[in-house]
Amino acid sequence: MTLLGDVAGWFADPAHWQGTHGIPTRIVEHLELSGLAVAVAIVLSVPLALYLGHVGRGGFVAINVANIGRALPSLALLAFALPIAIALGLGLGFWPTLFALVPLAIPPILTSTFVAVREVDRDVVDAARGMGLRESQILRAIEIPLGLPLILDGMRTASVNVVATATLGAIVAGGALGRFIVDGLALQDYPQLVAGALLVALLAVATEVSFAAFARATAPAGMTANP
Amino acid sequence: MTPGEPLVRWDWVANHTGEIGLRIGEHLELTIIAVVLGLAIAFALAFAGLRLPHLYPPITAFAGILYTIPSLALFAFLVPYTGLSLLTAEIGLVSYTLLILVRNIVSGIRSVPSEVRDAALGMGYTPRAILWRIELPLALGVIFAGIRVATITTIGLVTVTALIGQGGLGYLILLGIQQFFSTPLIVGATLSVALAVAADGALVLVQRSLMPWTRVR
Amino acid sequence: MAETRGATVEFRSVTKRYGDTVAVDGLSFAVPAGRICVLVGPSGCGKTTSLRMVNRLIEPTSGEILIDGENVLQGDPTELRRRIGYVIQQTGLFPHQTVADNIATVPRLLGWPKERIGARVDELLTLIGLDVRMLRRYPAQLSGGERQRVGVARAMAARPPVMLMDEPFAAVDPIVRERLQNEFLRLQRDQGITVIFVTHDIDEAIKLGDRVAIMRAGKLVQYAPPGELLAHPADDFVARFVGSDRGLKRLSLLTVGGADIDPNFDRSRLDGAPVLSPSMTLRDALAAMLASESQTGKVMDGDRYLGALTLAKIGAMLRVETPA
Repeated sequence: MTLLGDVAGWFADPAHWQGTHGIPTRIVEHLELSGLAVAVAIVLSVPLALYLGHVGRGGFVAINVANIGRALPSLALLAFALPIAIALGLGLGFWPTLFALVPLAIPPILTSTFVAVREVDRDVVDAARGMGLRESQILRAIEIPLGLPLILDGMRTASVNVVATATLGAIVAGGALGRFIVDGLALQDYPQLVAGALLVALLAVATEVSFAAFARATAPAGMTANP
Repeated sequence: MTPGEPLVRWDWVANHTGEIGLRIGEHLELTIIAVVLGLAIAFALAFAGLRLPHLYPPITAFAGILYTIPSLALFAFLVPYTGLSLLTAEIGLVSYTLLILVRNIVSGIRSVPSEVRDAALGMGYTPRAILWRIELPLALGVIFAGIRVATITTIGLVTVTALIGQGGLGYLILLGIQQFFSTPLIVGATLSVALAVAADGALVLVQRSLMPWTRVR
Repeated sequence: MAETRGATVEFRSVTKRYGDTVAVDGLSFAVPAGRICVLVGPSGCGKTTSLRMVNRLIEPTSGEILIDGENVLQGDPTELRRRIGYVIQQTGLFPHQTVADNIATVPRLLGWPKERIGARVDELLTLIGLDVRMLRRYPAQLSGGERQRVGVARAMAARPPVMLMDEPFAAVDPIVRERLQNEFLRLQRDQGITVIFVTHDIDEAIKLGDRVAIMRAGKLVQYAPPGELLAHPADDFVARFVGSDRGLKRLSLLTVGGADIDPNFDRSRLDGAPVLSPSMTLRDALAAMLASESQTGKVMDGDRYLGALTLAKIGAMLRVETPA
C-alpha cells in the first residue's frame, strides 16, 4: 500500500507536471515519436499494398513480410537502428528510435491493407468493372471503403506496437515516457518507475480503445449489423 | 561506434565465444520456461472457457489487456514486488503468451467438424476420449500456429528483460548500447533474430512429425 | 461371414419434445431381424431425430426402443453405441487417422486383440472392394465414393447386429450413388445386419427398403413394403410424396416372370419384338418395347420360349388404385 501511496504522491507533485522533464512534455514527445513513425510507415506501405492487392499480385511477399516482422524483436531493431543513426550523424534519442519504430509498424499495415483489398468480393469488383468504372475508381469507390475495417485494424496493431516500443527509446537517451521507467530502474526510484509504467500502459490502452471507436464510426453503412 | 571503426569486430567475437554461447543458453532457457508455462496455463484457461462458455469472453479480455500493456511497463510494475529477478521476467513473458495460445486452443477445438464429433460419439467414444483422441489431435495445427507465434514473440521479448537484469542475448545488445560499441549490439540482435527463425523452423518440423495426415497429397 | 446376426428393432410410442414443439410423435413400428427399414419424408419430419434416438445421441422424451426385446434406454449409452453401427452423410471419418485406424475404431474401443483387429480390417477392405494399399491412406486422399465405403466398413467393423445410416449416399454423384447402393444391398444381404436408413429420396427408399416408413411432421403416415406403398398409398400426402409416376416406379419392383404372360401367343407374330428374360424388371421390359416400337415382347428363359408380354398387360399394372 505504501508503494501505491508513493506513486500517488509522485503524481501529486507539481514539479513532475512542469518543464522539459514534466509529464505533459513526455506525453507529447511519446505521441510525436509514435505518430511520426506510424505516418511514415503508412506512406511507405499503404500505396504499395493497395496496388498489390488491387492487381492481386505479391500475396506471398505480403504474407511473409508479416512473419518476418514478428521475428524482429523490438530491442534488436533498436540495436540495428543505433549504428545507422550514428553513421548518418543524427545522434542518439529521437532518430534511432524512429528508425527502429518504422520497420516495426510496416508489416501489420502492409499485410492487412493487402488482404483487405484482396478479400473484397471479386463479384462486386467484376460488376463494377462491367459497369464501366476505371481501375482507379474501383479502388477508390469499392475496394478501399469495403476494406477499411481491416486496413484500420492493421494500423491499430501497428500503432499499439509502436506506442509500446517507443518506451525503449529511453535506453538510447531518448525522451518520451520510457524516460520515467528507465530512470526509475537505474535510480531504484520505484514510485517514478511505477508511475511511468502506469502512464505507458494507459497510453497503449487509450490508443487501442480510440482506434476501436474510430473503426466503429467509419465502418461503411451496410456492413454492420445495425446500420 | 566511433567513425572509422568497423560495425563488427570479429576479434571481439572470437574472444567472446564462451560468453555468447552462455547468453544463447540463457535466452533459450527463458523462452522455453515461458512458453511451456504459458501453454500449461493457457490449456487450463481454454478448457475452462470451453466447459463454461460464459467464462471465455472475460478470459480473453483479461489476456488481451495483459497483451496490450507494453512489456517494459509490465516488468516495471512487477519490479517493486518481485525485484530484478527471473520470476519478474517469467511473469511478464508468460503473460504475453496467454492471449494467442488461449485463443488458438479454443478456436482449434471449436473448428473440429461437427460430423467428426458426431461420428465419434455415435460409435461409443466417451466425451473425455473425444477431447483427447479426436479434438486435440485435430486442433493441433491451429494450436501449433499459436505456439509458433508465441515462441517468436517471446524470443523477441526476452531481449527486453535485459533491462531487469535477465535477458540472454539482450544483455549483449544493452552492453553495446551502454559501451557505445556496435559489435556486441549487432551480434546480440542478429543472433536473437536467428534464434527466432531457427525455433520457428524446429517447431514446423515437430508439428509435421506429430501430424502426418497433413503431409499427404 | 455368418457370425453377424441381425437383431429386431422396435419403436413403442416413442415421442421427442423440444419445449413446446413435438419433433417425433408417438412413433411405433417394428423392423424384423436382418431387414432394411427406410425412414423417409420431407425435411423436418423427424426421421433423423428418430434414428438418433436408437443409439441415444438424442434421448426420447417418452416411449421405448427395443433391440432384440431389450430396452436401449436402460444401461450405459456409450456401451450401447459400440454395439450399433453408425454411418452419416459427411462420413465423419477421422481426418487424422489412416483408413485402417478409422475402420478399427470400434474394435479398438472394445479392446479386441491386435491380430483380430488386423484380420477384421483386411476382411472388411475386401468386402467393400478397396485395395490393401488404401489402408495406409488418410481420408483426404480418398474419393467421395471411397470415403463412403470406408464409412460403411467402419460401422460394420465390430459386427454390430444393427446399423444406423443417415443419408449415407446423398453427398456423392448419381452414378457413384447407384453403385454404392448396389454394393450396400449385396453386403447387407450377405451379413444379415438389420439396418435403419434415413433418406429424403423416395427412389432410394423404394430401391433399398424391405419396409418403408413415411413420416410427416413427427408422425408415421404409412409403414409398408415398397410395392404396397406404391400400389396402395395411405393418403394424398403419401401419393404425392411417392410421385405421380408411382405406377412406373412400381414396375421396377416387378419382374417379367411375375407378370401375366400369354404362353399361347403365336410365336411367328413376334418377329422384331424385343427379347425379354423372366428376371428383367417390368420397367426395363417396357423401355425395350417402347424403344423397338413393338406392342409385344418375346419372353425367353434362355432358349425356352415362355410366351408373349403385351403393352396392354403392362398398362393394366400401371393403373394402380388412387386413395379415396
